[in-house]
Amino acid sequence: MKKYNAFFAIPYFLWLVFFVLAPVILIVGYSFFDSNGNFTLQNYATYFASGKYLAMTFNSVLYAFLITLLTLVISYPTAYFLTKLKHRDLWLLLIILPTWINMLLKAYAFIGIFSLHGGINRFMTFFGLAPHQILFTDVGFMIVATYIQLPFMIMPIFTGLEELNPSLIKASRDLGANAFQTFAKVVFPLSLAGVKSGIQAVFIPSLSFFMLTRLIGGNRVITLGTAIEEHFLVTQDWGMGATIGVVLIVAMFIVMIITGEKKKGGRN
Amino acid sequence: MKQPIISFKNVIKCYDDDVPVLKNVSFEIEEGKFYTLLGPSGCGKTTILRMIAGFSEPTEGDIYFEGRRINNVPANKRQVNTVFQDYALFPHMDVYDNIAFGLRVKKLPKNQIDQKVKEALKMVQLAGYEKRGINEMSGGQRQRVAIARAIVNEPKVLLLDEPLSALDHKLRLDMQYELRELQQRLGITFVFVTHDQEEALAMSDEIFVLNNGNIVQSGTPVDIYDEPINHYVADFIGESNILNGTMIKDCLVEFAGKRFECVDEGMRENEPVEVVLRPEDLDLTDEEHGKLKVKVDTILFRGVHYEIICYDDEGNEWMVHTTKKAVPGTTIGLYFDPEDIHVMRFNESEEDFDARLESYED
Amino acid sequence: MEKKHNFSWDKLYLAVVFVFLYVPIVYLLAYSFNKGDTMNSFTGFSMRHFAELFSDTRLIVILLETFMLAFLSALIATAVGTFGALSIYYVKKRQQRMALLSLNNILMVSPDVIIGASFLILFTTIGSLVGGIGLGFWTVLLSHVAFSIPIVVLMVLPKLQEMNESMVSAAYDLGANNFQVLKDIILPFLTPGIIAGYFMAFTYSLDDFAVTFFVTGNGFTTLAVEIYSRARRGVSLEINALSTLVFLFALVLVVGYYYISKDNKSKKKSERRQKGGVMR
Repeated sequence: MKKYNAFFAIPYFLWLVFFVLAPVILIVGYSFFDSNGNFTLQNYATYFASGKYLAMTFNSVLYAFLITLLTLVISYPTAYFLTKLKHRDLWLLLIILPTWINMLLKAYAFIGIFSLHGGINRFMTFFGLAPHQILFTDVGFMIVATYIQLPFMIMPIFTGLEELNPSLIKASRDLGANAFQTFAKVVFPLSLAGVKSGIQAVFIPSLSFFMLTRLIGGNRVITLGTAIEEHFLVTQDWGMGATIGVVLIVAMFIVMIITGEKKKGGRN
Repeated sequence: MKQPIISFKNVIKCYDDDVPVLKNVSFEIEEGKFYTLLGPSGCGKTTILRMIAGFSEPTEGDIYFEGRRINNVPANKRQVNTVFQDYALFPHMDVYDNIAFGLRVKKLPKNQIDQKVKEALKMVQLAGYEKRGINEMSGGQRQRVAIARAIVNEPKVLLLDEPLSALDHKLRLDMQYELRELQQRLGITFVFVTHDQEEALAMSDEIFVLNNGNIVQSGTPVDIYDEPINHYVADFIGESNILNGTMIKDCLVEFAGKRFECVDEGMRENEPVEVVLRPEDLDLTDEEHGKLKVKVDTILFRGVHYEIICYDDEGNEWMVHTTKKAVPGTTIGLYFDPEDIHVMRFNESEEDFDARLESYED
Repeated sequence: MEKKHNFSWDKLYLAVVFVFLYVPIVYLLAYSFNKGDTMNSFTGFSMRHFAELFSDTRLIVILLETFMLAFLSALIATAVGTFGALSIYYVKKRQQRMALLSLNNILMVSPDVIIGASFLILFTTIGSLVGGIGLGFWTVLLSHVAFSIPIVVLMVLPKLQEMNESMVSAAYDLGANNFQVLKDIILPFLTPGIIAGYFMAFTYSLDDFAVTFFVTGNGFTTLAVEIYSRARRGVSLEINALSTLVFLFALVLVVGYYYISKDNKSKKKSERRQKGGVMR
């Protein structure tokens, strides 16, 4: 049984070495070199000393936090109500469908909607409000980011709620809890795993958006992702780019540890 | 005696954690008989089966197939086939393809495969089901497909790993008859693993009773039922009343505060022993005619008989199976013949036990 | 009861969410039929942007190349990932298995930018060591294969865990050798998972922008990168027309996926029902 595995699994293990381990080592390694290829801690020194980078990091985390909060607030009721529908598979599919359209096309649609003479402003002028510049503002960026992330939050919460054993709810009602108590003491705590994986799925990409900040946020919003792209592809300062990359990786691990699901026994 | 088809010589099996699941097991299996490995879960019976099939190798000791050592022969090279507990049918194939699998692997010509598959299906009474999907079959039908898939390869030994455990009671009884009949028709060796003593008694030519990685007793169903070697076997097979007693001398045993005539011999005088009386061997009678005076505690209706629980003066519990009714709270008599008493020595080995029985039984 | 009224706050809320989800898409699609050249006002129905799209050979070539890339990368990733899943499954020690699985999932949770940047470093490092790797189609293909492998593994592995070990034993018992067991038993059983994995890998590739953006050179571009550079220059309704086509394609895929998964589910259900029946 082992023999065929060893042979056929070679590509997979090559992949593990070259595309999982090597990139991690390389990006961490690069953060310790300057643009001339000499070993240095200067990148980290620059990062922590200059207010610019720290402020950018703080902003990026703040934006990601707000986007995550907003999607969560919209998604939880949506997922909850969806579980009550008759053809929920079909409705869920309609939630998923937008994720199959390239993110760029969706961002592009908002360029049209948000522009000074676009859909929103014409809608507002119809009600007698003066047109506003929404494109290239942080509000615009947040709305589009929320829009893009919404399905990724709804899906895990929905799955979590769906997996919930219906007889638990009956049991709770049977034991005298009212609808609200049942929700607060049974349904919500049990759906937290879904919420956590939703937060994971939304927060980390929100930290690293870069094309969205360019297309919608103008250059007003700079996330960790934008900074990395800029250092790698524009200023060609790979050392600094890798350093910010390491910061992003660390941030990712922190999020994963916080939202990490501790497997509890007796789930079946 | 014919050459055994399978023999185990001092086989020991340990897994990673070093606790042996089989502790020095030796036995021989003859051609054309129905064998049952009987024991509770974890006793090692499935391990033995897996070793015969070739899914597991002994840690120590040897396994022989028709005199040839097969310790390292892989499963796909053995003339042995298995009916798995969960049937292990291939869900992506229909009935025909499942049964034909082994033949196709052996690259038999198409017309031969076709003929053999049809025959096997007829054998398990599923003719006409060739094109059915596995998911469209009921549990009992799947069972038959699994059997057909195994026997179509004409194995010398068919291994059955608790194949009836997933069936409901009625179907299980029917299948017991069918399996027995099938074995007799095919004339090959069946090795059947079960924890169900009724199944074992009903079908087997020979039963191996296992406990804790050892074969405790082997013999025909009647032998094992009538003359269990020890407390464990007596308790595991059938219902029994087991009491501590003393062997006063040959053919005289004392228990429940009284002396009784019996038919057992070959023990030391005044040797402490255990005594077995089967509930169905006990007859209800009135106080005067009984050999033992007991008080009726509870009575349960079991359909074919009543199950009556009584206590004697010494507080021993007695279970009686009878068609007569008794009234709880009344005192009655129990009657039994000397042959109904079976005396067991403590820690007697199977060889000693057999030798002792042979010495006075003719 | 209350249910007789067809109105409820739940449904209103859901309706608002769905409107929010679909208005931008409808907006995007609707303007592909606009007579004018902007997304600001609909001046009349016209198919001329579709005509423009089809005569834009550069875009058509990019479109075809993007699909080719998705097709190829998904194919390779599926092959590699399926055997990856098999080797993870056959690792005996639980801890080792878990460690392998965590390694497998690193790329799943990493942000695109990090993947893109680190692959860029990887390719240039290898290029400087060995020479001869210019950024372009091959680096993009390798990257797409690389980030699709873990999802294939994650789609195949549950199917493997669902697999009945005794089924494999039965195949050996019936005389099959390793290769026959793999070909006739394991792979057919895994097929639904493998197809789902291919599907996911395909969409991952189509959807990717960030990684491609990092690792592609001047010679090769995908649809997403092209749209990005065009969108930065401003609105062009040709992109809307393209979106309409992409949306229709996605719709077909989604419906296909729905039926595949539904089929799987109902099969599973009927199996469970029969098992339940037997147990009783």
